[in-house]
Amino acid sequence: MASIGSNSSIQEAEVNVTHADIVVAIAAYNDVRTVGAVARAVRDGLAKFFGSHEARILLADAGSTDGTLEAARCAVGDMGLIELTYQRPAAMSGVLYHGHPGRAEALRAIVQTAHRLNAKACALVDASLHSAAPAWIERLIAPVLTDGFDYVSPYYVRHAHEGLITKGIVYPMFRALYGVRLRQPAAQEFGCSARLVSHYLEQNFWDRDQTSVGVDLWLAVAAATGGFGLCEAALGVRQPASRETPADLSTTLAQIVGALFMDLEDRVDVWQRTRGSAAVPIVGAGPEIGPDGASLNLERLIESFRLGYRELREIWTWVLPPRTIVDLRKLSEAPLERFQFDDRLWAGIIYDFAFGYNLRVMPPDHLLRSLTPLYTGWMASFILQVRNATSSQVEERVEQVCLAFEAQKRYLISRWRWPERLR
Amino acid sequence: MWEQVDRILRQATSQVVDQVADFLPGVVVSLALLLTAVLVAIVVRMLLVRVLRGLEFDRRAEQWGLAGFANWSASSSPSLAVARATSWVIFFMGVLVSLTALNATIPSRLAMSMFEYVPHMLAALMILVAGGIIARLLARSALIGAVNMRIQSARLISLAVKWLVLLVAIAMALDHLGIGRSILPIAFGIVFGGVVLAAALAVGLGARDLVSRTLEQKLDESSRPNDRVDHV
Repeated sequence: MASIGSNSSIQEAEVNVTHADIVVAIAAYNDVRTVGAVARAVRDGLAKFFGSHEARILLADAGSTDGTLEAARCAVGDMGLIELTYQRPAAMSGVLYHGHPGRAEALRAIVQTAHRLNAKACALVDASLHSAAPAWIERLIAPVLTDGFDYVSPYYVRHAHEGLITKGIVYPMFRALYGVRLRQPAAQEFGCSARLVSHYLEQNFWDRDQTSVGVDLWLAVAAATGGFGLCEAALGVRQPASRETPADLSTTLAQIVGALFMDLEDRVDVWQRTRGSAAVPIVGAGPEIGPDGASLNLERLIESFRLGYRELREIWTWVLPPRTIVDLRKLSEAPLERFQFDDRLWAGIIYDFAFGYNLRVMPPDHLLRSLTPLYTGWMASFILQVRNATSSQVEERVEQVCLAFEAQKRYLISRWRWPERLR
Repeated sequence: MWEQVDRILRQATSQVVDQVADFLPGVVVSLALLLTAVLVAIVVRMLLVRVLRGLEFDRRAEQWGLAGFANWSASSSPSLAVARATSWVIFFMGVLVSLTALNATIPSRLAMSMFEYVPHMLAALMILVAGGIIARLLARSALIGAVNMRIQSARLISLAVKWLVLLVAIAMALDHLGIGRSILPIAFGIVFGGVVLAAALAVGLGARDLVSRTLEQKLDESSRPNDRVDHV
């Protein structure tokens, strides 16, 4: 077993192993139930598809106490596991939506190690998955090694009610801002090239306050805005096992959307110049899945939105223009069967919140958490529209949302440039 | 005899004139100081209004939770309220200084004791302002949290938090001013303890079933599909 030490997130890791063509990293924290299967999938994927290459498996463990390390070592076997040691947070700093403390430090150590090993391709897989398969490694690495792509983003097949923050906010806004149609910009799995690894090390987001929750998204943004070749890899279904400290909806929303908004100010020159969006190639094909059988309580979601309108309207008026408040009032009075959140209204609301976030109209946590009832309203409307749809029909619906975000981007630019004019 | 009367009259007149002559410069200086204080107060008020409006103080005060203070006064905006308060403080200080210039013993003592009291008043004011800001922030945080937890009486919780913090701030400020030093903590303790006891009795006796139902509902919710959905 090789040892890599890094006592500081800034210092580069010291590596005994000097070279590897491929590096696949597993990010883990108390994942004893799943890490063995994930490590075996990585080992088998490397052996099956990249047997002629020198490959290494890294494990970035955030201080598991449940035997995750032993399970991973056992699963990898003779191939050997490089266990990264890096500066871990002293204590769990609040609830994280992904349940992985010190994720940014882990990812930084992985990127530093890949750079030190002169790896031609690097991939990251989360250890909390039930669904990792050897084919994933091929899909994440091959586009970099053989097709010359720099960033491989996962493309998961998901039911209509899954990943709605991504479908309704992150993907449409990412796409409208940076002009790249990556469906999972905040994914916890990806593949990247040596060139992109070097670019990542030059980024200034590693030392931000919210890096632990924003790093996955910011890595995708760095790839999309740095002129790199991007593609998506169809990985099929993603089945995460929930970690011990699952964040509630409000926390998850605040962390993900906060990370997206935080990056806006730093990249204002890029997104204000970007027009339209371009599709990225998809490697492989995922299975078509039918309508999901989950019975979501839509009335409860809508009631949550109505309660939010009654009690938080005054707070919303700090960022939302009066006409939006009027539209929300009409929506709050609509019965279940006619409850429909207009796409342009939704896009405008998200842009107004992004603008308010960067203008610091109130503490960021208050602003972001006050978005939750609006999100539940949009969620209810979206599920009402796609509850009997196939995955391709859901994709079409998401495409309409994205087009609304692209159409409303002009509004965001106007607000950003002339804040008083639209007040 | 007439000569004696005339001499006494002259002496009395001379004493009065001397006393008036001694007192008059003080009055003149006092009036001049008062006039200066009025002028300074007016100028400072006008300048403050302009500067604060230029700095968008009204909007910021609303965000910081200071708008409530302006609502309590007759002023229409926080910047006007601050300007008015400042001008009144300057005028009041001018009055105290002008009283000292009269060289009268009682007004001078009053002025000196008032000057000694000013730091306490400023500290109390700062406690009130800080309390107002903290109350507003905590109330908003409680409101958003309660709404996101789908609690129907979210507004009530928010108001309770706000007034609890405000009451603590007011009690601290009054204690700092030395007003009702022994009565206030007792009164506050009685009121606060009474509220907590009443709430505990209400929940424990009157709303026992409601609480158990709510807890059951809450525990049950965690296993519902809505909350197990992977949103990311």
